Amino acid sequence: MPGMRDVEVRSRASEALILLVILAVSLPLITGYSLLILSGFSKSMVTNLDPSSFYPTLMNWILLLQGRTAQFAGIRVNIWGIVANTLVVALGVSALVTLVGSLTGYAVSRMNFAGRKHIMMLLILLHAFPGSVLVVGVAFIYRMFMPPLEYIRFYSFFYVIVARAAIEIPMATWLMKGFFDMIPWEIEWSAIVDGASRFRVWWNVLLPMIKPGVAAVMLFGFLAGWMDLIYVRTFLVDRTLATFIEANAEAEYAYLPLVAVAGTLYLLPTIIFFIAAQRLIFTISVSGIKG
Amino acid sequence: MVSVKLVNVTKVFRGGVVGVKDINLVIEHGEFMALLGPSGSGKSTTLYLIAGIYKPTRGRIFFGDKDVTKLPPRERNVGLVFQNWALYPHMKVFDNIAFPLRLRKIPESEIRKRVVSVARMLRIDGLLDRYPWQLSGGQQQRVAMARALAKEPDVLLLDEPMSNLDAVLRISVRAELKRLQRELGITTIYVTHDQAEALAMADRIALINEGSIVQIGTPSEVYGKPRTVFVGGFLGNPPMNFLEATVGYVEDKPILVIGNNKLRVPDHYEELVRKLGLNQVIVGIRPEDMGIMDKPVPYRTIRAQVYAVEPMGRETIVVAEVDGSQVKIVTSKSIVLREDQDIHLYPSFEKIVLFDPKTEKALEVLYEEEKLE
Amino acid sequence: MPKSSVFSSKALHGFKQFVRSEASRFLALALFLVAVFYIIPICISVYMSFTPLRNWNIDRYAGIFVGLENYYRFFYLLANDPSVKSVFLTTAVFVALTLAVNVLGGLSLAIATFFVNERAAGGLQLLWLLPRMTPIAVYSLIWYYFFHPSSIGTINGILYKLGLISKPIDIGQGIIPWGAWAIIVFVNGLVGVSYGMIVFTSAINNIPKELVIAARVDGASNWDITRKILVPMLRWHILYVTTWQLLSLLTTYDHLFLLVKWGLVNRDYGTTWSLYIYNTAFLTGLQDQGLAAAAGVILVIVSSILGFITLKLMGFDKLIKPPRGDL
Repeated sequence: MPGMRDVEVRSRASEALILLVILAVSLPLITGYSLLILSGFSKSMVTNLDPSSFYPTLMNWILLLQGRTAQFAGIRVNIWGIVANTLVVALGVSALVTLVGSLTGYAVSRMNFAGRKHIMMLLILLHAFPGSVLVVGVAFIYRMFMPPLEYIRFYSFFYVIVARAAIEIPMATWLMKGFFDMIPWEIEWSAIVDGASRFRVWWNVLLPMIKPGVAAVMLFGFLAGWMDLIYVRTFLVDRTLATFIEANAEAEYAYLPLVAVAGTLYLLPTIIFFIAAQRLIFTISVSGIKG
Repeated sequence: MVSVKLVNVTKVFRGGVVGVKDINLVIEHGEFMALLGPSGSGKSTTLYLIAGIYKPTRGRIFFGDKDVTKLPPRERNVGLVFQNWALYPHMKVFDNIAFPLRLRKIPESEIRKRVVSVARMLRIDGLLDRYPWQLSGGQQQRVAMARALAKEPDVLLLDEPMSNLDAVLRISVRAELKRLQRELGITTIYVTHDQAEALAMADRIALINEGSIVQIGTPSEVYGKPRTVFVGGFLGNPPMNFLEATVGYVEDKPILVIGNNKLRVPDHYEELVRKLGLNQVIVGIRPEDMGIMDKPVPYRTIRAQVYAVEPMGRETIVVAEVDGSQVKIVTSKSIVLREDQDIHLYPSFEKIVLFDPKTEKALEVLYEEEKLE
Repeated sequence: MPKSSVFSSKALHGFKQFVRSEASRFLALALFLVAVFYIIPICISVYMSFTPLRNWNIDRYAGIFVGLENYYRFFYLLANDPSVKSVFLTTAVFVALTLAVNVLGGLSLAIATFFVNERAAGGLQLLWLLPRMTPIAVYSLIWYYFFHPSSIGTINGILYKLGLISKPIDIGQGIIPWGAWAIIVFVNGLVGVSYGMIVFTSAINNIPKELVIAARVDGASNWDITRKILVPMLRWHILYVTTWQLLSLLTTYDHLFLLVKWGLVNRDYGTTWSLYIYNTAFLTGLQDQGLAAAAGVILVIVSSILGFITLKLMGFDKLIKPPRGDL
């Protein structure tokens, strides 16, 4: 019975009832997200659920992408620069997390060494370290190694990326370990008997076999860097979408839809991720039916 | 010239589980040795010890005169084929076979030559551009063989390479592999739980049970002269029949008493039974070493009742009951038998093996061991 | 030889062995990052808690040693300052309620989605994963508008339409403390549900399906299966998720930060211990890093104890299998 988890002659009515209940519970979630996105396409916020406040327009998008956040005061914000900053942090975190996660995940999955158990315990205990205490200590180090003024922007980018990536190491390591664990030992032994070093086994044999795993860690690393608020607002000199929204949420009512647009823009990678994941789940369920 | 020698090799895993204990084994240069045993017996452990995947807890391993006990696998020059073949799924067949050669920094033109020639030898030269998942099980198995042979190993190690093939294919690959090994003259160690494979291909068989070698010998030796009840019961399909017997004496000659049957002791055992002074023995008779008669012959036949008849086409297996225990007889004759019919079994006495019920060892083995002490 | 030196020489030997092993090369980068961004910052926090560091004036204050003064101050404030008192009350209420929402919500979702077809189940689970995957600023923004104290707030809009109110109400600032608590529990509860949901769903998928199918043949309803098969088999996972989430809730503050900063919820009744540390170090008028560090060190002690309990509950020793082979 591959893929079968319950009898196929279940009552349709009770299934529909369960679905209805879950949907009802999910309603605030669905409402909250939809209203934010919808408000971006309206002249005034529609968050009060009043259809009369919905005047469809693309003006907010045009204004934001032109960098005119305050329609009348004429304050210009380089929104593309802000997106680029967010992207740099996200890509940097993604790359570092993937590299470190795949190296460490391999070692704890496949190698026996003194202190293996302790390192795995440490990786779990790191979760217990309060983020706010860490950030205080991390800020101290940040200030201790402050470079001359002209390098500070570069330094702050570098520091945010490395510090933020460090937070994701335990998660990335466990995720990668799970993928390495799935590869049969015979593949590894074969390569070693054939004369490959462990590094070569890792790079030439195992990594190509778990491309989906690498992609997953890359994606999670990207989202972690993309969605971060605390590290970015504490250390980064430049603005990202997170700090932009932080500063503008309390804008005057007339410009609130503009902030909603910025929020929607910031939400785009998440939405793309969800469409991709939906498709992935669909393919899995389809192939499950076939198998 | 590469022979493989294991001297007092013991492997204890973390947590104290004993993989193999005190293995002594010599595989001569060019020999085809099968390690045969039930699953969990330690045969794969032995192979991994030879490959260098496991490090022995005690003992030494030699390739020729060279002590390789502490050598990492890549310095041992062995070819290894696994049960699941362990092909690299992201590499084409060509790159799979070339992988060990590339690691040796052999020039690409030389690699191409060697891959093509080994692929031609295994008749997979038309598949070099495919990925492993595009191949059938038999083809994948050949690719794994090709990869192991491409680096011209001193020793070829095969870990149940055919158990993932279907029964028909297995028999044809069996003959091919035996032929290939003979032509290359490469020292080969073949792990299997399938006795037919071991008997059909190997020069010698090492039977392993519970981490120890029980018997080493040519296929006909281990089949015809099992040293223990385990070997007799493991080899053969159906396996050896065992009957418990008491030793009695008639006119000073030992006889075997099985239920109400009296049977003479085979000539080659008369002296041994006397010398060892045993009261009880286990009589081992292969199913094909018994005939069926309708009339008893004094001291030569065992009375039995037919329990079931299983016609197998070429031969017929008769299951009969002797004094409450079942025996199987393989006969080529197409005889008509009814269930519960009385029959008389006539064993070939020169093929009977007698075991000591306490140690489960054949009497000659027991006698030798006692003499040594 | 005294026992301690035997131990340390053994540890030293183990360390040397590790450095020489091939594994250390694979782990070097991770260990470096963990050292620089976890271990050393914690040590620095401990050190800072003994200095009068303020306004990040490291040159002036970081060299001065004031003993336990920051700790005395912290406990004095805890006993006498109403706003610090309310922070700890809020922490207790927030952790307890959010934990219940997280664990029960995750369990309900995992079980409910088990009884619907797999495509719908996948879609619904993805929906509940959304809060965790959403940029924190956007997520805060959504609930900022949802609970907004003016007429644009969704809750206000609904209540007005229903005729329950005549003018907008300020839940987070006006209804103290339960309005503020309701908002922070709601917002964080939705984020945390997904963790339990994922753990429980994968645990349910590992339950032999024959059990469920056999129970169906015997005439069991959804409720029977939930009560007699699923929940009893998830007992261990429930315990594990509870301790893990307890730890998470005690230490995270990201999703609260903007709600407080934007004034959606009352500062005193919207701030938890962890956020209090961050705000004391970085936000308040007088940035008091010494005090923040002292409050932090105590939190580290509490959460480390909880962390070890979690490890024990996970059955960590059984969980890690040694790798095969002796390579």
